Amino acid sequence: MLKAENLNVYYGKIHALKDVSFEVNSGEIVALIGANGAGKTTTLKTVSGILRSRTGSITFCDENISHLDSYKLLGKGLAHVPEGRRIFLQMTVQENLEMGGYINKRISKEDLDHIFSCFPRLKERRGQIAGTLSGGEQQMLAIGRAMMSHPKLLMLDEPSMGLAPILVEQIFDIIREFHKAGTTILLVEQNAEMALRTADRAYVLESGRVALTGTGAELIQSDSIKKAYLGG
Amino acid sequence: MTHFIQTLISGLSLGSIYALIALGYTMVYGIAKMLNFAHGDIIMVGAYAAIVCVFQLQLPAFAAILFAIAVCVLLGVVIERLAYKPLRQAPPLSVLITAIGVSYLLQNLALLIFGSEQKAFPTLFHIPALRLGQITVDGITLLTLGVTAVIMIALTLFINKTKMGKAMRAVSEDKEAAGLMGISTNRTITITFAIGSALAAVASIFFGVTYVYIKPTTGSMPGIKAFTAAVFGGIGSIPGAMLGGILLGVIEQMSKTYISTLWSDAIVFGVLVLVLIVRPSGLLGKKVSEKV
Repeated sequence: MLKAENLNVYYGKIHALKDVSFEVNSGEIVALIGANGAGKTTTLKTVSGILRSRTGSITFCDENISHLDSYKLLGKGLAHVPEGRRIFLQMTVQENLEMGGYINKRISKEDLDHIFSCFPRLKERRGQIAGTLSGGEQQMLAIGRAMMSHPKLLMLDEPSMGLAPILVEQIFDIIREFHKAGTTILLVEQNAEMALRTADRAYVLESGRVALTGTGAELIQSDSIKKAYLGG
Repeated sequence: MTHFIQTLISGLSLGSIYALIALGYTMVYGIAKMLNFAHGDIIMVGAYAAIVCVFQLQLPAFAAILFAIAVCVLLGVVIERLAYKPLRQAPPLSVLITAIGVSYLLQNLALLIFGSEQKAFPTLFHIPALRLGQITVDGITLLTLGVTAVIMIALTLFINKTKMGKAMRAVSEDKEAAGLMGISTNRTITITFAIGSALAAVASIFFGVTYVYIKPTTGSMPGIKAFTAAVFGGIGSIPGAMLGGILLGVIEQMSKTYISTLWSDAIVFGVLVLVLIVRPSGLLGKKVSEKV
């Protein structure tokens, strides 16, 4: 479904991604894990067209999307929940969701109701300004907003960031539910254990390179992964 | 008392013209994060467009108004495309200098085409004055107040209730996240310039019928005042621009009547300085913490 080949991305002179290649097949949950600054967010931003790779190509559903403007990607079925949630803090919960459905001709009530049924908390707060939500609710809103357009592939950047463990469990339950309902997932996480337990396959990024790849189950057993990311 | 109310009404009318122009400044600032100092000169172009339409083309008032709006919208969009769009990634100072350059360009083009002499603006409306007891409100003032009230309500509804209006607020808050929702920043900026210029065109008509004489630099003073009004109300805030514009007009008219005509501009700008000392983000502006 998504195939990235030989991505090389630079921030000025800093070489942030070095020959990164990876693949997400239809129906999978794939995780990108790695330490801070390993290039996980950069990878997602490059897929989304926010950053550009100097080399290689990105293919989504057999179409080369390497040079597409960022705003055209959602229409192709590629949704991105960015790092730090980036919900519209001054708009209401419902308006945020409506923006998630912007590419649909009309803002459909069924879509809104569907998201509200997945996130009852958001329904209670639909008229509230998003900036007043708690961190967990903001993350739910960010995911709900991305799901409004019925994407084929949902890319999530650190959905567990800054959340209490119980909320992390909740968020991951929701991600698994969307996956069961047919959405392919590309997950970026620093919480390696959670990510590996959830993912079918994972790529380990180390200073801008893909250092290791395998199934979630394989990686969680691997000694080097245990040492570096799972605390022992 | 009668005199006071009379002054208040003409202040409101002047203020609503400022508010129409201030909306253009504030919307463009909110969406494109730039100060479009050529915005005032759009008023001058709108006024000349109406003059040409009535005196050269002999068209009726209604056509002149539509023509002025069309010319201003087209001009605003073309300026954005040619002058500002190439500078999207440039430092803010480059954009600011370009905007000042565009302002001089428009003034000098008008000088070239229409000459430096003042041109009389046509009498577009014949509306009888309204008499309420001892208070007389002339027709133009009534029309100005009525039309701007309708425009402001319509604009508020557009921004808050329509999909496009909400998308504009989303872009204003976070361009990158708006892009991830499928909202095109460039298209949104174009629409913002079109709306801002249309409002300036309406302002140019009221300005013309009120002040009658038009010259190439006509736009600069109301432009500066409206910019002041936008800052006064909190730049980026739409209700702020409306409030700022109206307050500015009332303060100016009151100073002219009760203090001194010569000092009125000094008083207006003095009030701005005071407000900014107490509330640096303007009356309705959001407190913005500098991103590090």
